[in-house]
Amino acid sequence: MTDHLQKEVKRETGEGTDLWRVILAPTIWAVHFLVCYVAAAIYCEKAGRMADLLPVRLIVGTATFIALAGLAAVFISLWKVRGLSSVNDDYNYAGNTPEERHRFLSHVALMLCVLSGVAILYAAFPALVLEVCR
Amino acid sequence: MHDTKPEITISFGPCLPIAAMGLLLSGCVGRQSALAPAGHDAEQISNLFWVMTAGVSIIWALVLGTALAATLGLFKNPTRLTPNILIVGGGVVFPTVILGILLIFGLRLLPNWQSEPDRLQIHVHGEQWWWRVAYRAPDQIEPVISANEIHLPAGQAVEFVLTSADVIHSFWIPSIGGKLDMIPGRTTRLLLEATRPGVYRGVCAEYCGTSHAKMAFAVVVHEPKEFNAWLEDRTSDPNIGTDDPGRKIFLSSGCAACHRIRGLTEIGSVGPDLSHIGSRRTIGAGIAENTPKNLARWITDPAQMKPAVQMPAYRALPPEDIAAIARFLSNLN
Repeated sequence: MTDHLQKEVKRETGEGTDLWRVILAPTIWAVHFLVCYVAAAIYCEKAGRMADLLPVRLIVGTATFIALAGLAAVFISLWKVRGLSSVNDDYNYAGNTPEERHRFLSHVALMLCVLSGVAILYAAFPALVLEVCR
Repeated sequence: MHDTKPEITISFGPCLPIAAMGLLLSGCVGRQSALAPAGHDAEQISNLFWVMTAGVSIIWALVLGTALAATLGLFKNPTRLTPNILIVGGGVVFPTVILGILLIFGLRLLPNWQSEPDRLQIHVHGEQWWWRVAYRAPDQIEPVISANEIHLPAGQAVEFVLTSADVIHSFWIPSIGGKLDMIPGRTTRLLLEATRPGVYRGVCAEYCGTSHAKMAFAVVVHEPKEFNAWLEDRTSDPNIGTDDPGRKIFLSSGCAACHRIRGLTEIGSVGPDLSHIGSRRTIGAGIAENTPKNLARWITDPAQMKPAVQMPAYRALPPEDIAAIARFLSNLN
């Protein structure tokens, strides 16, 4: 019994099924997407078709930097859970304990984090190429 | 069952896809093909198509090859790492990099709107089911009005200003460049540069009603000098035979209420401008060869050639009057 408890404590990575942890990365992606597109739409509507896109490109660049930094923070915290999970080979995918749920959701969140990073980079690419509003 | 005679079967099965391929590929040439480019953009689209075809063929072979090898058990001693490398490498890194490269490659094909602001503008207004066309060179005050045929200079970027009167149309000259929607209430702009003189065919590429399939136009690409002479010629009135009997019937039958002929009647603007119709290659927006016989057929009953067309039938007119109008129109150039 004691051994079992000790093992539980050793492999403890955290608890809870906090959904915010899962959707934090996609939320950063959504906000970045909105900032880029809304900024470009408002700027081009006010400045006209032939306006230089430089201000929008700067906004997109800054938003992308902040978004990727945020994703990196999320990624690191999730990677720690994965690191702890990999220490022991007792991780049971079929398990139904708060610990197992926590690890599983962290794994899902980690995948979403990678997906969000790719999506943010793709959304930012056009700002590298486009020069005028048109 | 004990027959020892060897069975010989000759299968023509494999020949079928080859024959079908031949038929399909024959559609890749001609005056309306994105794979037989005669314009700067069409060349880029064609190149993109071949690069992507080669790319997807390689990826297809790799994926199926891997699946086949796995099925046949050709992977000896797979380590614990193998699945992870395949999933992360083949499922995440590889598609991300390939799609990223394609995205940048595609974005770089966008036209550069910044350079050369003074260029020839051609305003094309889509209507069910024909094209109103107006040319405006940089130094030109009055636009040259035409319809259902577009003339372009080779080697010069031309700006198309696209609008629509009724529903969404899409302006597409496959041999010269990509297509762009014409949206009611909005103006869209397309930059095209034809490279090879010749005659091509453009179409409406967005379903726009009953006669959508019959909404096309001829595109004539000239050498620049020839084009300037053509445009100059179009700024003057056509040769109208004053004693042409067709002219009188045209006016008395009410044709002028909808159609304009420069120097004769400038009221009508409902239907296509007929100023130089005699020099156009087609009638009815690219659906029939421009001959007096076809013109007469069209005037008699347009809906028979183009279902649901707005122009009414003139069956009530005597056939000789219709023939006279057709001859009169054929001489307008």
